[in-house]
Amino acid sequence: MSDAPWAIKAEGLSKKFGLTLRQSMKYGLRDAARRLVGKSAESAILREGEFWAVEDVSFELREGEALGIMGVNGCGKTTLLRILNGVYSPDTGRARLRGRVGAMIAAGAGFAPMLSGRENVYVNGTLLGLTTREIDDLMDEIVAFSELGQFIDLPVKNYSSGMYVRLGFAIAALSRPDVLLMDEILAVGDLNFQKKCFDRILQLKREGTAIILVSHSPGAIWSVCDRGLFMDHGCVRVDGPVEDVIRAYDDQNSRNAAASSAQFDQAVAAHDQKSADTHLPANYGHSRGGTGDVLCTQIALLDSCERSAALPEFDFGESFYIEADITVNQPQEDLLLRFTIDAAHYRYIAILDSYEQGCEFHRLAAGHYRLRVRVTSPNLRPGTYVLNMAASRKAVGVHLFYWFGATRFVVLNPADKFLYADSNAVMHLTADFQLTEVHREIETHNAA
Amino acid sequence: MDNTKPIRTYEPIGHALGFVGSLRLAWTELYLSRHVIWHLFVRDFVAQFRQKILGYFWIVLGPLLGIVPFVFMNRTGILNPGTLDMPYPVYLFAGMGIWGMLISTFTTVSGGLLGNADLVMRTNIPKIAIAITGLAGILYNLIVHVAVLLLVMALYGLPPAPAALFYPLAVLPMILLGVGLGLMFAVVGAVARDVTGMATTALGLLMYLSPVVYKAEFPQPLLQALVSWNPLSYLVDTPRSLFMVGTVPDLHGFALAVLFSLAVLAFGVHAFYLIKDRVAERL
Repeated sequence: MSDAPWAIKAEGLSKKFGLTLRQSMKYGLRDAARRLVGKSAESAILREGEFWAVEDVSFELREGEALGIMGVNGCGKTTLLRILNGVYSPDTGRARLRGRVGAMIAAGAGFAPMLSGRENVYVNGTLLGLTTREIDDLMDEIVAFSELGQFIDLPVKNYSSGMYVRLGFAIAALSRPDVLLMDEILAVGDLNFQKKCFDRILQLKREGTAIILVSHSPGAIWSVCDRGLFMDHGCVRVDGPVEDVIRAYDDQNSRNAAASSAQFDQAVAAHDQKSADTHLPANYGHSRGGTGDVLCTQIALLDSCERSAALPEFDFGESFYIEADITVNQPQEDLLLRFTIDAAHYRYIAILDSYEQGCEFHRLAAGHYRLRVRVTSPNLRPGTYVLNMAASRKAVGVHLFYWFGATRFVVLNPADKFLYADSNAVMHLTADFQLTEVHREIETHNAA
Repeated sequence: MDNTKPIRTYEPIGHALGFVGSLRLAWTELYLSRHVIWHLFVRDFVAQFRQKILGYFWIVLGPLLGIVPFVFMNRTGILNPGTLDMPYPVYLFAGMGIWGMLISTFTTVSGGLLGNADLVMRTNIPKIAIAITGLAGILYNLIVHVAVLLLVMALYGLPPAPAALFYPLAVLPMILLGVGLGLMFAVVGAVARDVTGMATTALGLLMYLSPVVYKAEFPQPLLQALVSWNPLSYLVDTPRSLFMVGTVPDLHGFALAVLFSLAVLAFGVHAFYLIKDRVAERL
């Protein structure tokens, strides 16, 4: 952390909202009446039907630092940003910002559709705290940066959304604010313009602008920010290096995805059971089915310490166990038991087959069995995965039993590696990178 | 290290914010955001003209049509406005115009936050500045009103009195009253949406207790007392007389009415500051 003076100080900021419009109106009128007769509104306590959208958030940001705020939808990021921008007044705590504040909570706020781009630059520039004179001086730069050319004199109602955003960003970024608040703004324009935006933001940072960036894009946060906050249900859960924040955000996303899919699976299973009358369907297109000769009634995943959980979570690379309760209704020969793993976007990314793993069940009498599989050092990247189960016989080419979506699990981010590159990738391979210089292109040119 | 930069502080409004405190805060905020206000003002003012390039005809005709029912009632003898020192249509047009200032100022300012929700939610312009930028439209209305009034007077061959130059100043208290009421309802109306509509209707009824469409001279002492205690009576009568005949009918009453509208304005600002932090999340 530098010893530059502070630019933003947030101390115990909280903001509450009413759940329904009716309650919101009731409390609003009550607060208004209390204020008018000189009593304080009940700010610091939570009344029935209210919740904390932001709860007890504190941080300090110095000049030239950038803070990334991440969190899943509804975690309070935008509310926090609005408090810092003076839109919402906090219910408790205090926020202080030093210098001119530029906010890009939405590029193009305050554009008047009837006026030309140029006229809107004046309106928008003053909204960001510039004087008319300063805008006069900046006008050429803004037109050049936004690449609008002659269209600067066109009424903005005829602008494309890209032009709108380019102009909005140009005004905010060129106004050289002391504090810049940005909400998910970097995903605009074509790649060249985005690159220009990044360059500009980093330049502002070098010049001492304190930046707060709210984004769902780990890439944007990682490239701009030094530190970060990970928010969940209004509270700050992680306050630290931006890598930790991105890991926490990614893990939270995986958990949420797995939990909501598990809910969906349950609903589907309940529906299937109702329509199938407890009989196992003997065709495909269900979550469970088969001939019924072999059944798997229960599958559980245990971590390396053999603990189970409703939604199993494993550390990156952690070995785990699959435990399956299997009922054999008819005696079986050469039974094949198989598990497959699906990732979020791909099916069958890995397969665990009893025969492939050197385990042969030549003859099994009818009865109940418990199967235990130890999966050692899986190379699964962080994310959410689905485990499917199937049973068949070497001599019979059909499924005696299948179970899609038998259980789900989450692989968490490792603390010692930063796996940021692509959330679509599913396997992690360990590799050594070596870069050797073969031919020095630029210097030979210069020498010539 | 630059310690000269201004520091913005956002914290809950305590009940410590007194009457003087909120007035001072309003003044500071308006002063600091004067550039924004100016540009928003220009934006709204220019937009008024641009949007109405084809509608100049209607701008003149609209207010004139407004007085037609009353002129009709007057001609047919249903409505007796009392003894007037000017032709009834002129009296009516001026009165309705001044009254319209109050109503349009009230509706503009009270709807200012709701109408500019985009600015409220996305910028840190002081909310009071956002609420009053609509006054650009009021200025526009005033200009049109005076122009049409001169036109109507010209039709009757009447020249305006020299004191007509003070007309904008004489209408100002009416506008300030509208701003004060509007500020109160800008914040209350954002919390409970229907109160502004109710207030507008109630204000409309008050017109009949003021010398707008008639001289408001009633034989009943109670009604007459209501009219003479009604500050709006003086706020309508004074600018009109000033414009037409160059006199102030009741200086004492007008002075009190001006004080009244200033008091309402101050209270409106105070109420606005006490409640404004409950507004943004309810827009």
